Amino acid sequence: MKKNFVGYVVLAIALFLIALLRPYAFFYGVQRGSLYSLVALPLALILGIVGLLNLAHGEFLTLSLYMAYLLFTKWGMDPLVSPVVTVPLLLAFGFVVYKLVIERSLKTHHLNLLLLTFGVSIVMVESLNIWWTSRPRNIYVPYASTSVNIFGVYVGGYEFLYTIAVVLVLTGLLLFLKKTRLGQATYAVGQNPKGAAIVGINVKFVYAFVFSLAAGLVALAGALLSVRSSIFPHVGGPFTMKSFSLTAMAGLGNLPGIVLAGIVLGIAEEFVKSIPGYTGWADLVFFVVLIAAIVFRAFGRREG
Amino acid sequence: MLLKTEKLTKSFGGLIAVKSVDLKVNKGEILGIIGPNGAGKTTLTNLISGVFYPTEGRIHFEDKDITFVPAHLRARMGIARTFQIVRPLRDFTAFENVVVSCLFARGESLREARKSARKICELVELDQPERRLDRLTVFELKKLEVARALGCQPKLLILDEVMAGLNFEEMQRMIQLVKSLREKQITICVIEHVMSVISQLTDRVVVLDRGEIIAEGPYERVAHDPKVITAYLGEEA
Amino acid sequence: MKYFMIAIVCVLCFLLPFFVGAYMIHVLTSIMIFLSLALSWDMMLRTGQLSFGIAGFFGLGAYASIIAVDDFSIDPLWSILVAAGFAALIALALGWIVLRLREIYFAITTLALSSVFMIFARNLSDLTGGSAGKVLYESIFKGDSIKIYWLVLSVALTVILVSELFQRTRIRFAINAIRDDEIAAKCSGVNIFKYLLFVFVLTSAIQGAVGALYAQQYAFVEPESTFSANFLLLPMSMALVGGIYSTLGPIIGAVVLGLASEYLKLIMPYGHLIIYGLILVLTIMFLPRGIYGTVVNRIAAKR
Repeated sequence: MKKNFVGYVVLAIALFLIALLRPYAFFYGVQRGSLYSLVALPLALILGIVGLLNLAHGEFLTLSLYMAYLLFTKWGMDPLVSPVVTVPLLLAFGFVVYKLVIERSLKTHHLNLLLLTFGVSIVMVESLNIWWTSRPRNIYVPYASTSVNIFGVYVGGYEFLYTIAVVLVLTGLLLFLKKTRLGQATYAVGQNPKGAAIVGINVKFVYAFVFSLAAGLVALAGALLSVRSSIFPHVGGPFTMKSFSLTAMAGLGNLPGIVLAGIVLGIAEEFVKSIPGYTGWADLVFFVVLIAAIVFRAFGRREG
Repeated sequence: MLLKTEKLTKSFGGLIAVKSVDLKVNKGEILGIIGPNGAGKTTLTNLISGVFYPTEGRIHFEDKDITFVPAHLRARMGIARTFQIVRPLRDFTAFENVVVSCLFARGESLREARKSARKICELVELDQPERRLDRLTVFELKKLEVARALGCQPKLLILDEVMAGLNFEEMQRMIQLVKSLREKQITICVIEHVMSVISQLTDRVVVLDRGEIIAEGPYERVAHDPKVITAYLGEEA
Repeated sequence: MKYFMIAIVCVLCFLLPFFVGAYMIHVLTSIMIFLSLALSWDMMLRTGQLSFGIAGFFGLGAYASIIAVDDFSIDPLWSILVAAGFAALIALALGWIVLRLREIYFAITTLALSSVFMIFARNLSDLTGGSAGKVLYESIFKGDSIKIYWLVLSVALTVILVSELFQRTRIRFAINAIRDDEIAAKCSGVNIFKYLLFVFVLTSAIQGAVGALYAQQYAFVEPESTFSANFLLLPMSMALVGGIYSTLGPIIGAVVLGLASEYLKLIMPYGHLIIYGLILVLTIMFLPRGIYGTVVNRIAAKR
C-alpha cells in the first residue's frame, strides 16, 4: 500500500510542476486526456463484462464522426445536438454487429474473437474510405474556437466539454452499475458469467446490451470531437490502442483509474509535444505507457 | 524428508484457500490427503507443482527451497501430479500425451521418449495408446493422467482424486497400480474422497479443512477424530 | 517416394521462369513473398499467440536493409541477413517483456508495432529519409526479375522447411502442448516462455528478411506504403483461408488469394483491403479451419 501512495504523490508533484512550467501543455493535456478516457471507458466496459477486446472500437468513433458530419452538412444539425440521432443509430449498429458477427463466436477460441473484431475494423475503415475517400472533412462552428482565461493563461475552452462529459459518464456508469438492477446484473456477469447465468441473469442480453451501450457512448464522444478534429477514415484507429493502454495501466474494472490514466496520458503527450524538436514523438507515449503497464503486471506480482 | 512446506499460505483476493500449512512428506511413503470439498487440497497440489506461487510460506523439496521455482523446472526435478478433472492434450493421441512429458521433463530425444512412453503405457496397462482421445474410456483417461505424470520420472507423485468416476473393479486395479509404483521408489500423495481407498493404500493421512491441517496420523486414528468428523458432517445441532 | 516428388516440384519451380512471361514471374514472386509472411504468422499462431506484428517487422526489415545498403555500403544480399538479425533483436527485446503476459496484451502490443515503427521512421529522418522515404540507386541483381524470383523462391522454400521442422520435431510437441493447455504443458516440463520467445524471434526474423527482399526488389522504402496494412491482412487471410496450424494450408491460401488478388486488382483498382477484411470475418465465422483444415477433418471423421 505504501508503494501506491508514494507513486501517487510523485505523480501529483510531477503534474503540478508541469502545470506551472508548461501551462498550455497541462490544460490541453487535461482536455485531450479526458477525450481518451471518454473513449476508453466503453472499451473497458466491453473488456470487463464481455471479456472481449473490441479492435473495431476506434472505428465506431470514426463512424459517429462521419454521421455527425453528414447531419451537419445535409440537414444543418448542430453537432452538439446530433447525439439525439447518432447515439440511437450507433446503439443499433453495435447491436447488429454483436448479433451478426460476435455472438455466434463467443464460445469458440478467444483468438477468433480478436481476429473477428480486427476484420470488422478493417471492413469499417475501408467502407468509409470507399464511400467518403481519404480526403479529410471538417465541421466549422463558431463556438468551437472560444477561449477561456485560467490563471492568466488563455486556452481553448470548448474542449473542456470532454472533461465535463467524462466526469458525467463515469459517475453515470458507476451509479448504474451499483444502483440499478440491470447494472448490478451487468456487474455480476462481468465477475462471473456462469454464476450469473445460474442465478437467472440473461447473460446474452447483458452482452448485447453492453456492446450496444459502448457503441452509444462512443457516439457521444464522437459528437463532441466532430467540431475539433479532421474527419478521415483512419482517425479512430489510434484511439483503440490508446484506450487499451489506459485499461491495461489502470486495471480492468477500475473505471476511475482509467479516467485518471487518460488524463495523465494526455498531459504526458502534450508535454512531449511542447519540447522543441520532439513533437513527432508524442504519439509514442501511449506505447511507453502500454509497455510500462505490462512490465508492472508481469514483474510486479509473483504469480505462477 | 522429501517435501516440506512451511506456513504455506495462498489467498485469492479475499479468499484464503490454503492457510499456514506445514506439510511433511517422507521419502517412500504413501500419504493420504483428505478433507471436505473446498478444503484446499487441489490448491495445495497446485502450489507444490508450481502452477502458482504462494502468498506466504515456503516449500522445500529434497532440502532445496523451491518456493518460486517455475513449474516446468519442478517437473524436471521430479515433482509430478495428475489433474482432478483430466486435462489431456487434445491435439495428440494418448501415446503422444505421454511422449510430451518424457520429452520435456526427462529431456530425452524423440526416439528415447517414444521408447519410454511405450514402457509407461505398458506399465499402466493402457492398450492401443495410438487412439485419439475421444475413444478412451474414463478409466483409460485416468490411467493416461497417471502415465503422463510418470513421464516426468517423478520422485514425488501427487494423485488428485484419481479414483473419481471409476467403478469398484477399476478402483481395485488402480490401487494395485499405485502400490506397484511405490515399489519403484516413488513417493506418493493420494488425494481422495473414497475412504476405503485411503485405508487400503496410505501409511499416513493428513486432513485439510478450510485450508488448514486439522489432523494427522494413521487413517484409523484420524477417521475417529471428532474434529475430522465435524469437518465432514458439520456440527451437531 | 514422397521426398522424390517434392524434389521434382522444387526443381520445376526453379525452372518455371523460363516457361512463363514476365508478368507471371512477377505475380509468382509476389505470391511467394506473401506465402512466407503467411507461414511465419501461422507458426506463431500455432503457439496459441496471435501476433499482429507482421507488417511491423516486415517494414523494420525493409528499412534496415535499405539503410544497410545505402549508408553502410553493405551488399544487398547480406543486407537481408542484417535485416533478419535486426528484426530478431527487436523481437527478442519486446518479446522478453511482453510474452510474460501474452494473449490480448501481446496481440495489442504487436498491433501497435507498425504505428510505432512508423513514428521512428518519420522522425529519424537523417537515417530513414523521414516521410519521403529512401530510394536506392538500383534494385538487387540490377533488377533481373529471374534472379529475384530465384532468391525469393529460396527464401520461401527455407520458410517452408522451417515450418515443416516445427511440425515434425519435438518442437511440435512443445508448441501444440502450449497452445492446448499451458498448465498441463508446464507441469509436463515444457518451458513455455522459452519456446514462445524462440518462435516469436524466429518468425519476426523471417518477416524482417521478407521485408528486406521486398525493399531490395523495389529499391525504396517509405513510411506509409512499407508499413501498409496490406502486409498484415493478406498473409493473415491467406493462412486462415488455406488452413491454419499447418504448412500446406498457408501455401494453398497464398496461391488462391494471391491469384485472386491479382484478378481483383484488374477490376477494382483500389479498396481491396475491404475484401480481405470480409474474407477474414467470413472465414472465422464459417470456415475456421480453412480449406486444408476442413478437408483434413472430413477425412479424419470418415475413418
